Amino acid sequence: MLTIENLTASYGAITALHGISLEVGEGELVALLGSNGAGKSTTLKSICGLLRPGQGAIRFLGEDITGKAPEVILKKGISMVPEGREIFGGLTVEENLRLGAFTSYQRDRYRADLDEMFALFPILKERFTQAGGLLSGGEQQMLAIARALMSHPKLLMLDEPSLGLSPTMTDSIFELISALRDRGTTILLVEQNAERALEIVDRAYLLDTGSIEFSGTPDELKRRVDIASVYFGGEDDGTCEVRL
Amino acid sequence: MTRGIQAPGWLAKRSTVWILLVPMVAVAGLLQLFASSLVVDIYTQFCVNLMIVLALQAFMGNSGILAWTHVGWMGIGAYASGILSMAPMVKSLGVPNMYPALVEIQVPILLAIVLGGVVAALVAALIGWPLMRLSDAVGVITLFATLIVMHVVMTQWDNVTNGPRTFFGLQKFTTLWIAVIGAAIVLYVVHWYRESSPGLRLRASRDDRYAAMAVGINVVQVRYIGFVFSALLAGMAGGLWAHLITSFSPKAFYILEMFVLLAMLVIGGQGSVSGAFLGTAIVTAARQFLLQVEAGINNSGALTLEVFGLTDIVMAIFMVVVLIWRPNGIVGGREFTWPLFRRRMKPAADGATGSQQT
Repeated sequence: MLTIENLTASYGAITALHGISLEVGEGELVALLGSNGAGKSTTLKSICGLLRPGQGAIRFLGEDITGKAPEVILKKGISMVPEGREIFGGLTVEENLRLGAFTSYQRDRYRADLDEMFALFPILKERFTQAGGLLSGGEQQMLAIARALMSHPKLLMLDEPSLGLSPTMTDSIFELISALRDRGTTILLVEQNAERALEIVDRAYLLDTGSIEFSGTPDELKRRVDIASVYFGGEDDGTCEVRL
Repeated sequence: MTRGIQAPGWLAKRSTVWILLVPMVAVAGLLQLFASSLVVDIYTQFCVNLMIVLALQAFMGNSGILAWTHVGWMGIGAYASGILSMAPMVKSLGVPNMYPALVEIQVPILLAIVLGGVVAALVAALIGWPLMRLSDAVGVITLFATLIVMHVVMTQWDNVTNGPRTFFGLQKFTTLWIAVIGAAIVLYVVHWYRESSPGLRLRASRDDRYAAMAVGINVVQVRYIGFVFSALLAGMAGGLWAHLITSFSPKAFYILEMFVLLAMLVIGGQGSVSGAFLGTAIVTAARQFLLQVEAGINNSGALTLEVFGLTDIVMAIFMVVVLIWRPNGIVGGREFTWPLFRRRMKPAADGATGSQQT
């Protein structure tokens, strides 16, 4: 469904991706793991057009989408939940959801989609007319995911959905991701919480300083790679916040 | 959700407009019947200012970009409508160097005012695209520079604006009721724009540019639409202003006047149409009051020295106080909606976090 070949990307003089290749098949739940600065978010931003890639090709459903504008890529069916719950805090929950749907807005379908989101996230119905900024962290993350789903994506990309959430809320988010996969949504998941992500994904890619270090099923990954060393850059690095 | 009187759908959807319109028209009616002509003039001026501040809100409030240019659109609208509406005779007297082709044109005043807005919108459309790509401080500085450029053009283009000298000879067209109708139309249109799809997308880009791009919003495009739309309204308001004042010079469209307009918008709350309305009303009333006080002090001779600039100083202090007290303006980005004081679902929680709302 999504194929990336030898993608490079840079921020000014700093190269963030040194030619990575990866693939996401239809209906798969694939994780992109790696430490801070490995290039995970850069990869997602390049796919959805927020960042113009240097070289390489991104193909989606057989079509080249490299360097296309974000709104064009979104219309083709790739929707992203940005890192850090970037919802529109000054707009109401309703307006946030409407914006998720605006690229393909149809009144009847919008109503039906809203009901579906209320079934998935009952809290959003309760908070429908409130400003998004007044929601709790977990609720904002749900709103961000619901907003991304409103455009009926064929591929959903989640950038660190568990970042800064309580353990209970993290559990519900991971349950939700599994549920979405079971409904048939293809998902590309970027996570810091590698242990939790490996419990639910079909395959995983491990990024380290802009290159793919490993790819395979969670079992293979656990067997062959010392995840902690890739994540935290060896034993003498004491700055890790997440323990595996 | 608890509701008082259930309003019909079309009324509820635009309840903000009605809540603001009814008192505005009612006060105009009362003033017409009972007030002196001076007060009627002040209210007419208020309605024209309201149009310009609402036009400013349409862009600045929804995009979050501090738009210095708007007094310039007002100026373009004023000059363009004046040139289009004046009789050739008057024009050749008032502006001796005017291009002959311009001297010949004369159209009805109302059409001239609309065309004045179109001219402002065209200029905005020409220069807007590169400007709308810029954000934050860079965007503000470039818009400020654009205002300076517009001012220099107005003071130097002898053949059109009569240079820095006064441009005079316009007919007085804007009466109290024309100003009220104009303000009502602009109020409706600006509220409609805020709630429309381009307006909503512009507000989303204000809240978070990257999230906006992630949901497929073309930020430059929605800003551009807002910029040109708002220039159109400001230009038409400038035309009405010109046909109220009847003689003016480029000084009327520069930093000091822009500052007054910004004060009106920011004090009321730039995030909403209600804020623009309230801010214009409060600042107009306060300025008139202070001007009277200033004149009273000077005339009574109570002080041995004359008082200068009291109004401006007090207005500036007032603005500072309001912004410390309520950084998002008096109404804080909210709109008045019917029923007026609806209970929130969790009043305590809302009250605790409400002031942080952006």
